[in-house]
Amino acid sequence: MQATHPPISMPTVTLSTLLCGEEGTVELLPDLSLLSSLGIRMGKRVKMIAKCLANGPCILHVGDRAIVIDRAVAERIFIRK
Amino acid sequence: MATTHTHKQQTILMMGLPNVGKSAIFSRYTNMHVSVSNYPGTTVEITEGFMTLGASRVRIQDVPGIYRLDEGTDAAQQVAIDMLSTEPDAILFVLDAVNLESSLFLLMQVLDYKIPTVVALNRSDLSGRRGQHIDHRVFATRLHVPVVPTVAHENDTLDALKRALVKQLEAPDTDYILHVGDKERWTDIERMIRRAVKQPIDPFDPHDRTAFLIRPVSGLFMALIILGLTFGFVIGFGMALRQFILLPIFRGALFPWLIAVVERFVAHDVLRQALIGDYGFLIKGIEWPFALVLPYVISFYVMLSLLEDSGYLPRLAVLLDGYFKKIGLTGTSIIPLLLGYGCGIPAIMATRSLPSRTARIRVAVMVSFAVPCVSQTGAFIALLGEKSLFALFFVFGVSVLALVITGFVLDKLNKQPVPFTLMELPPMLMPKPKVFGKKVAMRIKYYVKDGAVPMIIAIFFTAFLYEFGVLNVLGRALSPLVSGWLRLPQEAATPLLLGIVRRELAVLPLFDMDLNMVQFITAALVALFYVPCIAMIATLAKEFNGRVAVGVFVFTTVAALFLGGLFARTATLLLLLFT
Ligand SMILES: Nc1nc2c(ncn2[C@@H]2O[C@H](COP(=O)(O)OP(=O)(O)OP(=O)(O)O)[C@@H](O)[C@H]2O)c(=O)[nH]1
Repeated sequence: MQATHPPISMPTVTLSTLLCGEEGTVELLPDLSLLSSLGIRMGKRVKMIAKCLANGPCILHVGDRAIVIDRAVAERIFIRK
Repeated sequence: MATTHTHKQQTILMMGLPNVGKSAIFSRYTNMHVSVSNYPGTTVEITEGFMTLGASRVRIQDVPGIYRLDEGTDAAQQVAIDMLSTEPDAILFVLDAVNLESSLFLLMQVLDYKIPTVVALNRSDLSGRRGQHIDHRVFATRLHVPVVPTVAHENDTLDALKRALVKQLEAPDTDYILHVGDKERWTDIERMIRRAVKQPIDPFDPHDRTAFLIRPVSGLFMALIILGLTFGFVIGFGMALRQFILLPIFRGALFPWLIAVVERFVAHDVLRQALIGDYGFLIKGIEWPFALVLPYVISFYVMLSLLEDSGYLPRLAVLLDGYFKKIGLTGTSIIPLLLGYGCGIPAIMATRSLPSRTARIRVAVMVSFAVPCVSQTGAFIALLGEKSLFALFFVFGVSVLALVITGFVLDKLNKQPVPFTLMELPPMLMPKPKVFGKKVAMRIKYYVKDGAVPMIIAIFFTAFLYEFGVLNVLGRALSPLVSGWLRLPQEAATPLLLGIVRRELAVLPLFDMDLNMVQFITAALVALFYVPCIAMIATLAKEFNGRVAVGVFVFTTVAALFLGGLFARTATLLLLLFT
């Protein structure tokens, strides 16, 4: 799984740094085809709902779906706030 | 030689995302009971049944749900992908009305196979409840495939689906509009959804109201409350059922009558004792499975089915994911572990939805070692609950602790990278009383067939072995272990021997023994860790291999005896020091 980092000038953050309740648009994703089936694709709006304890997964709302993303994967997804 | 002209029986393969209602439709069409639960990965193998379509009987196959054909993430999902190459006569594709995007993507991949397909737009009642209106004709026209809106629990919609299937089988039309590449597929899906779905002005988000169940602090707090209530209900309701209804019927009316009849008509001493004596088959063969264990089977399955159908289990899995990762497993492992508190066999089967073989074996070992099945739990509650609730909580506390330690040790012995957790949370649903009632009833029926009947047979043989003195001889032979190491009376060898046949039989005979509290807990701990029953050993061999089965057998036996003896000595020493 590899994600190329976006150019430095882009105002992006990784998905894992979004606070609960914050929203953003997906800018860049690792090459994991299951992500697209879960609705996490370029240009999609996502909202952080919860980050589980013990470095557990992040839970996002994508449209009306609740999606669970591993913290390690969330660290490789770039979001524009 | 006369020749017979035979028609090849037609086969319909059901496909779709996980948790979209495939099994619910399958059960309605075949009248077979298959597991229907509100979490992804309920179906872990191919289930075959037969249904009537027009004038013919066709075979229908339910397979595990999957997101994409190019990526099966576990053994169960791979089964679904492999089934496509068996050339079914038709595919019944179940499209999820509450998750159109991913469903449509998979549908497009399936259409590439050019197999006659009919699409059921299922759970359309749920999308309707959210205020959405879906025009299914948009999908039918854009993809050139028949689409029928369905609600799995409503017959008229399923009849319409049948008619569409008959049509596709009689005059197959596979002139689908195909898409090349993911990008083209997603673009077209978004376009179709924009045209087909009328959203309400103020969209209702089904996950908002239940978000407190997955937020870290409120979620863990709620988990404690929910699991506490579950435990309380299983014990309280089971005890009430036993104490106030079943025992008065059995002990107050049935047994005195049976004893009177046997005493009157059976003159032979040994035979009479075998029927109504210490291990009297007529008494214990009824009392143990039906008065002691059944009440807890009922209360446990009521709660487990509620947790399954409401959609709470995947939420619990997510909350615990971070902790499970520390022992090399994903949070979804909690589902087979919890199922193991019902019966170890479906629990081992449910490990098929875990992401790797290593994870499957680990969870199977944990279930075999430290998770008591519902019959054994019933026996524990009946045995310890009445004497001391502390002893009961202690044994269950040790069970949980042993699970954690086993997880850690297995992880240390064979460290493997833990797969990423990527999943969708199903919406929380109110269980449908009819479906829920049927599920609990089926599980009780399975308990009677697969649990109570073998238990009765084992008690029958035990009654005679006891009366002929065989158990006594074996007890003397095992005395160094039972009395010397475990500090139990010699007669406690009997439950140890019986425990190999059925787990609860390692506990139930202790009832009539005169033991002190340390001995009760020692015997309960040995029973907890002791070999899983024969049926479970056979399942381990079938699901993995003989080595795993033998390994579990040896490991659980040695560990149970060692830990039992260790507890007996430590507890006695502590009692000496502090009293
Ligand atoms: N309201 C409603 N609920 C449904 C309908 N169909 C299925 N369900 C519920 O949806 C959940 C999933 O149903 P299943 O039949 O287990 O789904 P599946 O596709 O077989 O799931 P997997 O075995 O995980 O692939 C259960 O809680 C069902 O009761 C429907 O048409 N309407």
